[in-house]
Amino acid sequence: MNKNRSNLPQKQNFGKKQAVQGIKKSPAYLLPFCLLLPAVSVIILLYIQPFLASFWGSFFTRRGEFGLQNYKLVLDRYLIDVYFTFAVTIFSTVVATILSILLGVYLRLSQGWVHKIVSILYRLPIFLPFVVVAQMMRSFLAPHGILNLLLAHFNLINIERPLQLFNWIGLSFGFVWKEAPFMVLLIVGGFQMIDDSYIEAAKSVGANLYQIITRVLIPMNKQTILVAVTLVFCSLVGCFSFPYMLIGGKTPSTITIDIAHRVTYFRDYGVANALGVFSYLMVSILAVYYVLNMRKGLYD
Amino acid sequence: MKNKRYLSLISAITVLSLLLFCFSATTFAQEKTRLVYMTAGDVNMLALGQHVIGPLYTEKYPHVNVMTVHTGPGNAGSQLIFEKVLADKDKAAGDIDVAMVHQIFLRWAMEQDLLMNYAKDINTWQYITSPFAKTSLGVNVEGYCMPMFHSQTVLAYNPKYVSDPPRNYEEIVQWVKANPGKFGYNGIKGGMSGVAFTVGWIYWKTGKYEKYAVTGPFEESEVATWEGAIKELKEFDKYVTLTGGNVATLDALNRGEIWIGPVWVDMFLTWRAEGKVDPDTRIILPEPGMPGQPMYFVIPKNTANPEEAKKFVELVTSPEFQAEHIVKRFNWYPGIDGNFIKDYVDEATFQAIYQDVTPEMLSKFGLAFPLADYFDAMLEAAE
Repeated sequence: MNKNRSNLPQKQNFGKKQAVQGIKKSPAYLLPFCLLLPAVSVIILLYIQPFLASFWGSFFTRRGEFGLQNYKLVLDRYLIDVYFTFAVTIFSTVVATILSILLGVYLRLSQGWVHKIVSILYRLPIFLPFVVVAQMMRSFLAPHGILNLLLAHFNLINIERPLQLFNWIGLSFGFVWKEAPFMVLLIVGGFQMIDDSYIEAAKSVGANLYQIITRVLIPMNKQTILVAVTLVFCSLVGCFSFPYMLIGGKTPSTITIDIAHRVTYFRDYGVANALGVFSYLMVSILAVYYVLNMRKGLYD
Repeated sequence: MKNKRYLSLISAITVLSLLLFCFSATTFAQEKTRLVYMTAGDVNMLALGQHVIGPLYTEKYPHVNVMTVHTGPGNAGSQLIFEKVLADKDKAAGDIDVAMVHQIFLRWAMEQDLLMNYAKDINTWQYITSPFAKTSLGVNVEGYCMPMFHSQTVLAYNPKYVSDPPRNYEEIVQWVKANPGKFGYNGIKGGMSGVAFTVGWIYWKTGKYEKYAVTGPFEESEVATWEGAIKELKEFDKYVTLTGGNVATLDALNRGEIWIGPVWVDMFLTWRAEGKVDPDTRIILPEPGMPGQPMYFVIPKNTANPEEAKKFVELVTSPEFQAEHIVKRFNWYPGIDGNFIKDYVDEATFQAIYQDVTPEMLSKFGLAFPLADYFDAMLEAAE
C-alpha cells in the first residue's frame, strides 16, 4: 500500500508533463482557458473580490484608521453573539441532520399511501422564504401563540406561565422546520441511488433496521449527507431575517443581527466586516472538511 | 408648370413632415418624462407612492409618469437611497428625481453635498413651521428638505389591565417592578421604537435634552456620565419582555402578553383603524417625552427633471393632500403646520388622532432624536 502511494505522484507527474507538451504544440492549447474565463471571472468578481474586500475592510475603523480595533470591539462586545450563533447553528444542523436521515430512511424503505402523502407534505417548507417562516413562527411560538394556547387547552401548561420560545429554542425550531425538508430532499435522492440488493443482502445475513441504516444506507450515502450538512450549516450562519424577527432586540443575538445593527445605525462597515470574518471562519471549518472529503471521493 | 407642381408637392410634404415631427416630438416627450420617486419606509410608503401620489400627479400633469421605487424600512432604507444618489454624484443627470428619506440621510447627504436647495422656491414652504425642517440631528438643513409627515413614538397600553397608566419614566419603572414581564419593548437592535424608548430614558436620567438634541455641541466627556443611567436600564430590562420588533410589540400587546409598550403612533392608529388591535387600546406620551421623527422629501442636485420634482413635492405638501391622505388615510401627523389642515378634516378624524395625545402634549413632550454624534454614542453605550 505504502509503496504504491510513493510511486503514484511520480507516475502522475510523468503523465502530466507529456500531456502538457502534447497540448502545447497545438493551437487548441488556449481553448480550455477561454472556455473557463467567463465562469472564473464571475467567481472572481462576485465572490473572491468582495470576500477579499470585506476581509481587508475589517482592518479599517469608521474613521479610516488601520489596525485591529474592529476585532477588539467584536471580541469585547459581540463574542457572546459569535458563540451563540455557532452553538445554535451547530445544534440546529445536528438536529436537522438526524431528523432528515430518519425521514429519508422512512421514505426509502416504506411504501403505501402514507408514504405518498409524507413525500409530498415534507417538501412544502422548502418553498417558503425565511421571512415567511419568521412571521409564522412569531405567531406559533409566542407566549400566547398557537402552540402555548393549544398546550393550555389540554391543561399541559398554565397560560399565565407559558413556554418562553422566543430564544435559542424557538430559533432552532424554526431553523430545523425550514431546513430539514431540504436535507431530506437531498438525502432521499442519495438513498434512492443505493440498489435494493445491498439492503436485501444485509437483511439476508441477519442485519436489523438499525444496522441497515448505520452500516449500509448512511456510509453509502456519506457524500450527499455531507453536501446537505454543509449547505444547511452555511445558510443558517448567514440567515438574518428569521433571527431578527424572532429575537431581534435580545441579548445574545446572532452575528447577522449585529452586522445589520452596525451598518444601519452607525454605517460602521469595519466592525461589520470583522463580524463577517468570524462567520467566514465558522463556515470555513466545514468548507475545508467538505473540500478535503470531496477530493478523496473523486480520487477514490 | 411642372416645376410649380413639384414645388407645391415638396412644400406640402415639408409641411406635413414638419407637422408630423412636431406631433411625434410632443408625444415622444410626453412618453419620455418619467419621474423617479425613491422612497424608504414601510410598505405603506410604497402604496402611497404607487396608488396615491403617482396617479394624482399624472392627473394634474399628464405628460409625467411617476415611477415609485421602494428601498425598505428604517435607516437601512434611507441608506440604500443615499448609496444610489452618491453613486450618481458625478453623472450629469442622476437617475433619482425625488426621494423620501429619514433624518439620518440628511446628515450623510449634506456632508457629500448631494442635495438641491429647493424648498423655498415652492409654494407650500409657507405652511412649514416645524423646527424639524430647519435642523435635523444638529445639521442645518433649511431649504434642502420638506417634511411630508411627522411620526411620534408613544406608549400604548391596554386599559383592561392598566387602569392608571404611568405618566412619566419614574412611574414606568415603579409599574414595571410591580408587574414584571408586562412591559415590552424591542431593545435597541430590534427597531426604532425601542431605540426611541432608550433615548428617552437617557434624556430623563440626564435632563440634558436641549444639549443632546438641539444645541449641542458634542462632548466626549458626556458619554461617561451615562454609565449609571445605562446600568439602571439594564436592571430595568430584567423586569421587561424584549420583543422582536415594532410589529412584535403591537402583536404582544394584542395577545395580552404585555400590557404596555412603546409603539409608533401612526402604525398604532392604522392598526386600530383596520381592526388589527383591540379598539380599546389607548396611548400616552410620558414625561419628559419620547422622540419622534419626520420623513422628508429631498431632490438630488443633478436630477434631470428639477421642475417636475418641485411640483411633486408641492402637491404632497399642499394642505388638501396633507389632510386627505397624510392625516385621514395614513394616520400620520401632518408635515405642515396642523392649523392649515383643520379646514380640510372633520372633527371625528381630528379627534381620533389627537384624542389621547393632544397637540399641546405633542409640542411639549414630542422630542427629537439626539444629534448624530450623541445618537451614535448613546446606542454604543446602551449596548
